[in-house]
Amino acid sequence: MTSDSTATLGAWLASCGSAGLRSPDMGHCIKIAKLTKCYGATVAVGGLSLDIEAGEVFGLLGPNGAGKSTTLSILSGLVPLTSGSISVFGRDLRKDFMAIASRMGVLMERPSFYDYLSARRNLLLLARLARREVTVDRILDLVGLLDVRHKKVGTFSLGMRQRLGLAQALLTEPELLILDEPANGLDAEATQEVLRLLRCLADEAKVTIIMSSHMMHEVEQLCDRVAVLNQGRLVTCDRTDTLLSYDLKRVEVLVDAPEGAAGRLRDMAWVESVEAKPGRLEVRLHDENVHQLTAFLVSSGFKVSGVIPRRRTLQDYFLKALNS
Amino acid sequence: MIVRVWIAYKLEVLKAIRLKFTYLGPALVVLTVAAMPLLQRFERDGVSDYAFIAYTTPVALNLVGLILLLAYCASLVSNELASGTIRTLLVRPLRRYEFLAAKLLLGMTYAVVLTASAAAATWAIAFALGDLAGVAYGGEVVFTASRMMLTYLAGAAAALAPQFAAVAFAVMLSSLTRNTGAAVGGAMSLWVVSDTLKYPLRAAPYLFSTYLETPWQVFQRQVDALEGQWLPDIGYCLLTSTVSFVIFAAIAMYALSRRNLNT
Repeated sequence: MTSDSTATLGAWLASCGSAGLRSPDMGHCIKIAKLTKCYGATVAVGGLSLDIEAGEVFGLLGPNGAGKSTTLSILSGLVPLTSGSISVFGRDLRKDFMAIASRMGVLMERPSFYDYLSARRNLLLLARLARREVTVDRILDLVGLLDVRHKKVGTFSLGMRQRLGLAQALLTEPELLILDEPANGLDAEATQEVLRLLRCLADEAKVTIIMSSHMMHEVEQLCDRVAVLNQGRLVTCDRTDTLLSYDLKRVEVLVDAPEGAAGRLRDMAWVESVEAKPGRLEVRLHDENVHQLTAFLVSSGFKVSGVIPRRRTLQDYFLKALNS
Repeated sequence: MIVRVWIAYKLEVLKAIRLKFTYLGPALVVLTVAAMPLLQRFERDGVSDYAFIAYTTPVALNLVGLILLLAYCASLVSNELASGTIRTLLVRPLRRYEFLAAKLLLGMTYAVVLTASAAAATWAIAFALGDLAGVAYGGEVVFTASRMMLTYLAGAAAALAPQFAAVAFAVMLSSLTRNTGAAVGGAMSLWVVSDTLKYPLRAAPYLFSTYLETPWQVFQRQVDALEGQWLPDIGYCLLTSTVSFVIFAAIAMYALSRRNLNT
């Protein structure tokens, strides 16, 4: 992305607002009810129900074959559903797909373009198909491809294609973005830029985003809510900030004599496990009773210089959800 | 719907213009026509120029042109399926049948371009090497130059009907597979097999491929200073071509509507 991309983003967001597309209170953007997709005897998605609020960034997590891409493909109109219903912007996806499609942008995994055309020409063609008057160069600038806009897409790297994929998804100034692995192929810096851009779109332009990803840190950074799918079924769904809260049952204690303190703690019924490390203890408690722990150590004559509760990660949540 | 198909068609044309393969067909057709004076004796005798036209255009179109038309159209949908670009298109406000209609229109446009290239090259050579003063018999002009031109144009227009059916045939095969090689090979081989078997199976009168030469017959008779009859053969040509076009297009649309675009 260029250094001017913030200004470009500002102009882009302003145009979204001026188009009168978004209202501050739009309620549900997507309502999925008992969505099922079968390929012969194989159930790719089974009875999935989700509600996604307008302006929300929603993440779909799951191992390979969990049904994330199928769900996004159904939402994008690429795959017909077997049963159930999907409502987007209050309209039935099957009946009003054309009206819905004009208000959404889609980035599927491994986006494809006409290799013999330039990046700019590809976007111009797609913009014409969407029948939207857009400044293609501004969007190319937004995703950091302005300098290579006249190069044929066939010469592009995976990361450049991914950026172009994002650009084509933004062409119609969408109210809903469907992103399948949006940072696929991007280096760390570009990933951060894309995540920042997406967060900005959600916050400033109230764009609703539903995305899938294998990269937990991407989802942690970006998503307001996540759902874990496994074998086509919803395992769990919760707010990201709830999931990423501190785990007061797992604490790290900075203490002067870790070995001795560990020996004392092992006898306590309220301690599940304890492990001594150089200069610290890793303690698992049965209850979230850190006060009891610190009080016990201090009263036992140990010098406690700090107690650090462990922060939960999405990886923990993901693995726990799958194991359960 | 019509507006969306029109926009999609214009995009197809813009894409085709930037694809080098598009120019191969017209170039080879013109090359074939340009090579024809080596096979067909040419003298300024008031006959051989029209005889050249009557021989050259059908040969250039029904041999070289048809192969190129089948190859071009058989790659139209399968290429998009193989590369995944169809997914980039169909997540926009464009229905699958509208996408297919745009592809069919592009194929038909290509047939028109091939026919126009063959016609232009044929008449240019005939004009350069002959006199094109009409068909004379016994010193008397039987068919004037303008009459010959009109008959040729009518024949060329009618010859588009079986070519359009061939376009639908190739596009249908293109919709059935994401492998462009299989689509092109399948179109060619099925064409040859059906052409070989249609007479022993007595199916020839019902197949549009039987009538590829029919539109040129009136012109060819006029070259021999004989009055030609359009009906009933041209009627069979148009009828079988139209029915075939509808059937092939319907199968293509059904196949595309059922296709899983997730992978």
